[in-house]
Amino acid sequence: MVSTRTRPRGERGPLASAGLHAGLLLAVAISLFPVVWLVLTSLKPRDSWLSAELQLFNDSSLDNYTRVLTATQFPQWLLNSVLTAGLTMVLGVFLAATTGYAVSRFRFPGHRSVMWLLLITQMFPVAILIVPLYNLMAGLGLLNQIPGLVIAYMTIAVPFCAWMMKSYFDTVPIEIDQAGMVDGLTPFGVFWRVVLPLARPGIAVTAFYCFMTAWGEVGYATVFMSQEDKRTLGVGLQQFIGQHWSDWGLMTASAVLIAIPAGAVFLLVQRHLITGLTAGATKS
Amino acid sequence: MRRNLPAAAAVAAFVLALSACGGGGETPAPAASVSDPSKVSGELTWWDTTRPESEGPTFQALIKEFQAKYPQVKVNYVNVPSDQAQNQFQTAAQAGTGAPDVIRSEVAWTSQFASLGYLQPLDGSRAVDKPEDFLPGPLSSTKFNGKTYAVPQVTDTLALIYNKRLLKEAGHEEPPKTIAELKQTALDVKAKTGVAGLALNVDSYFLLPFMYGEGGDLLDVANKKIVVNSPANVKAMETVSDLISSGAAPKPATTESYANAMTALKEGKAAMIYNGPWALSEIYQGKEFKDKANLGIAPVPAGSVKAAAPTGGWNLAIYAGSKNIPAAYEFVRFMTTVEAQAKIAKEISLLPTRTSAYANPDVEGNSDVAVFKPIMDTAVPRPWIPEGGQLFQPLLEGYQSLVGGKSGPADMLKKVDEQYRGIMKDWS
Amino acid sequence: MAVSTGRSSGGPAAGESARGRSHRDYRPGRLRRSIATHWYAWAMVAPVLAVMLVLIGWPLIRGVYLSLTDATEANIGRTIGVNVIPSTYEFVGLDNYLQILTSSLFWDKLLWTVVWTAVCVGLHYGIGLGLAVMLNRRLRFRSVYRVLLILPWAVPAFVAAFIWRYLYNSDYGVINGFLKLAGIGGVGWLDDPTTAKIAVIAVNVWIGVPFMMVALLGGLQSIPAELYEAAEVDGAGPWQRFRAITLPGLRQVSGTVLLLGTIWTFNMFPIIFLVTRGGPGSETEILVTYAFREAFTGIRNYSGSAAWGVIILAMLIVLAVGYRRTLRSQGDPW
Repeated sequence: MVSTRTRPRGERGPLASAGLHAGLLLAVAISLFPVVWLVLTSLKPRDSWLSAELQLFNDSSLDNYTRVLTATQFPQWLLNSVLTAGLTMVLGVFLAATTGYAVSRFRFPGHRSVMWLLLITQMFPVAILIVPLYNLMAGLGLLNQIPGLVIAYMTIAVPFCAWMMKSYFDTVPIEIDQAGMVDGLTPFGVFWRVVLPLARPGIAVTAFYCFMTAWGEVGYATVFMSQEDKRTLGVGLQQFIGQHWSDWGLMTASAVLIAIPAGAVFLLVQRHLITGLTAGATKS
Repeated sequence: MRRNLPAAAAVAAFVLALSACGGGGETPAPAASVSDPSKVSGELTWWDTTRPESEGPTFQALIKEFQAKYPQVKVNYVNVPSDQAQNQFQTAAQAGTGAPDVIRSEVAWTSQFASLGYLQPLDGSRAVDKPEDFLPGPLSSTKFNGKTYAVPQVTDTLALIYNKRLLKEAGHEEPPKTIAELKQTALDVKAKTGVAGLALNVDSYFLLPFMYGEGGDLLDVANKKIVVNSPANVKAMETVSDLISSGAAPKPATTESYANAMTALKEGKAAMIYNGPWALSEIYQGKEFKDKANLGIAPVPAGSVKAAAPTGGWNLAIYAGSKNIPAAYEFVRFMTTVEAQAKIAKEISLLPTRTSAYANPDVEGNSDVAVFKPIMDTAVPRPWIPEGGQLFQPLLEGYQSLVGGKSGPADMLKKVDEQYRGIMKDWS
Repeated sequence: MAVSTGRSSGGPAAGESARGRSHRDYRPGRLRRSIATHWYAWAMVAPVLAVMLVLIGWPLIRGVYLSLTDATEANIGRTIGVNVIPSTYEFVGLDNYLQILTSSLFWDKLLWTVVWTAVCVGLHYGIGLGLAVMLNRRLRFRSVYRVLLILPWAVPAFVAAFIWRYLYNSDYGVINGFLKLAGIGGVGWLDDPTTAKIAVIAVNVWIGVPFMMVALLGGLQSIPAELYEAAEVDGAGPWQRFRAITLPGLRQVSGTVLLLGTIWTFNMFPIIFLVTRGGPGSETEILVTYAFREAFTGIRNYSGSAAWGVIILAMLIVLAVGYRRTLRSQGDPW
């Protein structure tokens, strides 16, 4: 029932609604435009991306996709990337959650140093100091190894995710933990069975973040994975664009193909985002 | 960290000096393999820097032939983009792990890698076959401190590449031979056909023909002098400036400059560009050159002193830390034979480095290679010094500011000169 | 760093640490007690710390050491096959730092890096928050909007950089194509220092907003709806609700994403490197890309690059400490 004087929460005047939609549509247009152009370019013949005329379509075909899938090592790269990103996601979420929880709940000696250490690792301009890192990886025998790369990605993804998870855990009322303790659960039990399920939105964001970090990273992957059959998508794709030549057909087609799994992970994770959302809504 | 004692360092240097006196290539392994080279065995990794799709297959085919001849050697072909190979090789080579056995090294990288101790000296080894047969320009790029560290694989230089139809419409049957003619031709093209006469590529390497043309250079290696800020070079920069301000060349973009100039030529939006043989396969895909005969290739126009362009190209070098040096020797030898070079020239139009290869019917039959052969005679070897690679960025920044109107010719060279003095500290 | 032992934070730990506190007087058993009380907390953070300390700690220590020497690729001793390079680098004290800090280029680059960071993070946060608030309402097509707005995140950064470079192309780019259709002449986006700076900021904002939006959306969803209802009953308008409930509710998340966003943007290597290569000239070069080029072209300057790294690290630590002080003075616990 909509009363004439006060609208219940969640209802808006038609003008406000129109404004909201207009704002979001504009944002969507900006965020989509380059992506749409990417897709359109991927459908054009290989050299027409740089052409004097502005055209939406130009002999559209799936040729570039066929070439990517059959004439390059794309499937191998995809497999490597899926393994790397998947492992990074699972391990990253787990480590970030435990660390975030420990720091959020327990005032153990050193808990503040932990947060600081995590923060400092993010300040380190790794691009400049890649050589000692390479030597270290070489010394540990982790070059050209997917686990090695996953470990390297942990250093990028986990600090942020741990911070993020700490923030989420901070918003989960402590009474819930106490109730769990009263029920006889160990601290790990409380974390695993009670608090973790409640932090689903945070985990969703963290998982997506970990996945995307590993999925789109090229710096480490280029240096650490020089063997051809160990390359990830990001490294492989760089073969299509050189200094004095470029195959935009292959590049754009594989970029589109790369974005699809990322989108799939997002859709998967998004369901949990919505679950968190509706949980909040039903509470009211 | 690991700091060797001075004494240990001295001993090491002494040992190094001794082995140098003995002449390279006296390592026992290759000597043993000379008896029957086809018996060498092992696994090799080769970092190739060619375009994986258009050029890679030719090299892969050569590897197959090599493996048929040396059945006990397995070659792992790895394609590394040319703009990353140098950096990646340096990282891997210094660590001692992950570096390839053989690398396709750009001519300018070779002396740098050699100075850092990353490359195996090749004098007298099986890798170098008939060194006197190589063209002197490319061969000079393989030397460092009097020793040979690589074998020339392919060579190239810049040429004037033009659209014959557009030049004809502008009333020019012949390509311009001097910068003055270049300007006039470009202006005529613009006036008669409405498209741009010359498309410039804002890149240091492409600036060198103008400098060489006026008798200028970046360095005087023999006298350890920085000569970039010379009257000749000022004149060259004024020439470039004048080409733009007179309208002979439209003001070029400074980013994507190369791609834009290429596109302009391919689409018939510009009549002439400077470029090398590596660009031909891409140019032939352009709509103006469906009929290959429409493409003209001529030596770069002469300045007031001469017509000259820089020597480019690629060498094959062996990582000193390779576990399979005998096999690597055989591989490098195999890849630089007249037959291999002829196959490369025939299939992908890259220019051979062996004089005798140009007499091979396969090479003679390739019209692009045939056209470039006389142009190669005007190519000027660049200063092959370890710091060579650092010289381009200051010059590029200068070129960009010149094109952007931020600084004049003399001004710009002065700045480049200052930066060079920061790089080459003990040069005058 | 401050180490708080047994400070009560309430919750399950409250029970634990209360017990801990009551036993505090047993001096000899204190360490053991501490281990007994906190071992699971340490166990939970140990794997992460171990990886971080090895992978970041070692290069950092090595970097600090190298930054005090004149080490380059040519004078660090090594033996590669038949080649023996003697080790001839020396300890030079703070020379590298002095050289960097006294060059006018450093201060130029620092200024631009600060501008770049402030503008990028400001826009990331402002736009991200705006979109998150819009998406946090009941709205038709909400999930569609959300998916579409997050899409840029799914495009790997280096691909995005190449797309944008193409969009910006002065002769054949799509943006100039539209400008020309509209009858306005094209702009050499990446050829002029000012437009190039705007261009790289735009790319970074495009890439960074989805992340900010998702993070803040997650934060918004954890704010109980009851609070808004109560406020509405009390007659608070939308702006008041936003200030009194939304912003404080987002404080935890905001604190994290703003600080980390600042750190990341400060060191954002790929965007600048791939979109403009630092050009025109070196106008768009931020500290980290400039340092990379200085140290990594030709024969690598290990000591110089390490000094750059340490300087950047030091600046960010100062920033983080200041930021933390501010948050703390506003009553945030960490």
